[in-house]
Amino acid sequence: MSQPSATRFWTLQRKAAPYVFISPFIIVFATFMVYPLIQSILFAFQASSGPKSTAYVGLDNFRFMLRDPDFWTAVRNTATFAFFSVFVQLPLSLGLALLLNARWVRARSFFRLAFFSPHLVGQVFVAVLFSLIFIPRFGLLNRAIHAVLGMGLETKWLMDPSLVMPALVLTALWMYVGFNMIYFLAALQAVDPQLYEAAQVDGANRWKQFIHVTFPGIKPIAVFIMIMSAIGSFQLFELPYVLLRQTPGPNQAGLTIVMYLFSTGFSTGDLGYASAIGWALVLIILTISLAQAKVMGLWKRDA
Amino acid sequence: MNRLPFGPAPTLLLVLFVLSAGWLLFHPARGSGEGRVDQTTLRVWVFARTHYDAYRDIIPQFEQAHPGVKVDLQLVHGQAVTSRMQAAFWADLDVPDLVETEISSVGMFWRGPLEEIGFLDLTDRLRATGLYDRIVQTRFAPWSTRQRVFGLPHDVHPVMLAYRRDLFEAEGIDPDTLDTWDEFIAAGRKVTRDLDGDGTIDRYMIELSDTSYANFEVLLFQRGGGYFDAEGRLTMDDETALATLLWYVPLVAGPGRIGNSLGDQQILTQQVEAGYLLCFICPDWRTRFFENDIPRIAGEMALMPMPAVEPGGRRTSTWGGTMIGITKKSQHHDLAWELAVHLYYATESFDRRFRQTNIIPPIRDAWNQPSLDEPRAYWSGQPIGRLYVDLADETPPQYSSPYAQMAKEKTGEAITECVLYYREHGEDGFADFARTMLKSKADDVRALVRRNPFQ
Repeated sequence: MSQPSATRFWTLQRKAAPYVFISPFIIVFATFMVYPLIQSILFAFQASSGPKSTAYVGLDNFRFMLRDPDFWTAVRNTATFAFFSVFVQLPLSLGLALLLNARWVRARSFFRLAFFSPHLVGQVFVAVLFSLIFIPRFGLLNRAIHAVLGMGLETKWLMDPSLVMPALVLTALWMYVGFNMIYFLAALQAVDPQLYEAAQVDGANRWKQFIHVTFPGIKPIAVFIMIMSAIGSFQLFELPYVLLRQTPGPNQAGLTIVMYLFSTGFSTGDLGYASAIGWALVLIILTISLAQAKVMGLWKRDA
Repeated sequence: MNRLPFGPAPTLLLVLFVLSAGWLLFHPARGSGEGRVDQTTLRVWVFARTHYDAYRDIIPQFEQAHPGVKVDLQLVHGQAVTSRMQAAFWADLDVPDLVETEISSVGMFWRGPLEEIGFLDLTDRLRATGLYDRIVQTRFAPWSTRQRVFGLPHDVHPVMLAYRRDLFEAEGIDPDTLDTWDEFIAAGRKVTRDLDGDGTIDRYMIELSDTSYANFEVLLFQRGGGYFDAEGRLTMDDETALATLLWYVPLVAGPGRIGNSLGDQQILTQQVEAGYLLCFICPDWRTRFFENDIPRIAGEMALMPMPAVEPGGRRTSTWGGTMIGITKKSQHHDLAWELAVHLYYATESFDRRFRQTNIIPPIRDAWNQPSLDEPRAYWSGQPIGRLYVDLADETPPQYSSPYAQMAKEKTGEAITECVLYYREHGEDGFADFARTMLKSKADDVRALVRRNPFQ
């Protein structure tokens, strides 16, 4: 091989090498993400029995969705869960983080680990655990309530339509409060201590310090956690699916959008309608995330 | 090495990728039935440990009778069987030769056009071999769609009532006098009560759920009702279903209730052991669960036929079921058929299988086996096999549909709504409410059924 052609080869190799190196990812991403995504868009306009038997139905899947009571039940349940995730879970996480960030609290590392540890075991384990805790008459929770209050021994947490959502929220609280606490802790520790000293010099009490120093300092992280919590809540599946033993619960009280999508696609075999539900979910999540970011002023330019 | 523009590590990764991808490309996963050149392998998926144990014992006989044939029996979780089979049928992937499928999930395989169902149509084989006439006819219903049969029935699953014999005696109840539900309910109202005076009922006559369809449907089947009829029409809101609902709700709600349920199997066993429940609906398969789960109450349990709706009426119903199907993609349909018949209907295996599972076979030839007449200590010395066999021919049909599971869940919703109404209003306007509710839930199912262009 002559010198100029060898140089050309190595020049070509230098140019092509990055593309060759990222090609495995591109191939995998295109096969398992892009192709299914495009396919799901096509499916959303078809009636189907699996991918082989399909018939074009135009917007019929979306029209049906608008008047499908089960879909709206799923939306209502999921929105309720998301509401509690954001407005109960996150304040609790922040409170815990503030507490465990205080210097006067002893064994902080132990408590941080203890509060975070439920997240380590995963949703399925937690759901199985709580399905035992919630058993009427023989379960730990009802026994404890009965021992303290002398009532509630037969409370059917997972069989009473009005109690299924509280049970789900309780379970999620146990699992995620500690997890979000870690984010808040990291954010709190990133706030410049000199700002607190300055605020104290200005005579700010603890509440004013929180409003004018802590909150602005942790706001970007708080917005991130809120958006991620909302997205996570709208994608809720394993927890209710296992907790309610693969059912939507009494009167569909535990039916979430993803559970409905799953049962439509894989129990009824209607991949077309399931795809339409999936795209509706994308739209919902996108709207809520954008709204949250807007409300929290994420895109405001600093003066 | 200096000729490698990004250093040796990325290059090594690239080489590994190319090598492994090349290896995978030229060594595809072996399909069903492929093995050594001189050997045929039949792969079988089962979802129940008891079935797995029973088949494992009789497979060597089949292999001896078929030199060069090996049976690869695999135990796969029930839900995994369903989802993996569905995905495999859809994507034309490798599937086992034979698959056991449970009644609650089989309907989803019937959704598409008949020619695209992944299981082999067994109707002609069943008729040609005479098996069709030797098996309890109603047991073909769940495994059929559009008048074609796609699976061999594993069982009959007649239903009896299991009761705490010791507590029945203590309460002065003679099960022989409980021939009708009216008599049963009257006895139940006497024993359902608060035992310790704390205002909470501590003893119920029977396990009946106030939110789920599971117990309700057994009682619906007993009356000849169901979710779908033989032609695939939705019947979950017909007059039989309504009558059953109107009768059922007062049994689980209001002051005259005699039934309750705090949860399924593991919790149920606790309730029975604690004397919280005196009876429960008991198909043959459930007897084995109790023997395994609470051996401590051996000798205190017994079985009785279900009370009839009317004097002289049907004394049983049905709950559950399993089929074995041959996949169309199998390369060995005839061998797979022989294996399926051997696993399910080989006479010499019945005794052992019944002792392992307590499940009576659907084929009448097997009903003279000695194991069925053996007294069981756990069940107060009753020959439970014979008790179930005596009811087997009365077992009602249970028709399947891709929408059966949805119909069940909608029925559960109707029960829940009716229970809530009954607790608040009692009989006042209850019949109209129940009718409206049942129809509304059925209409939800009809709306989905209408959207299926393939049936």
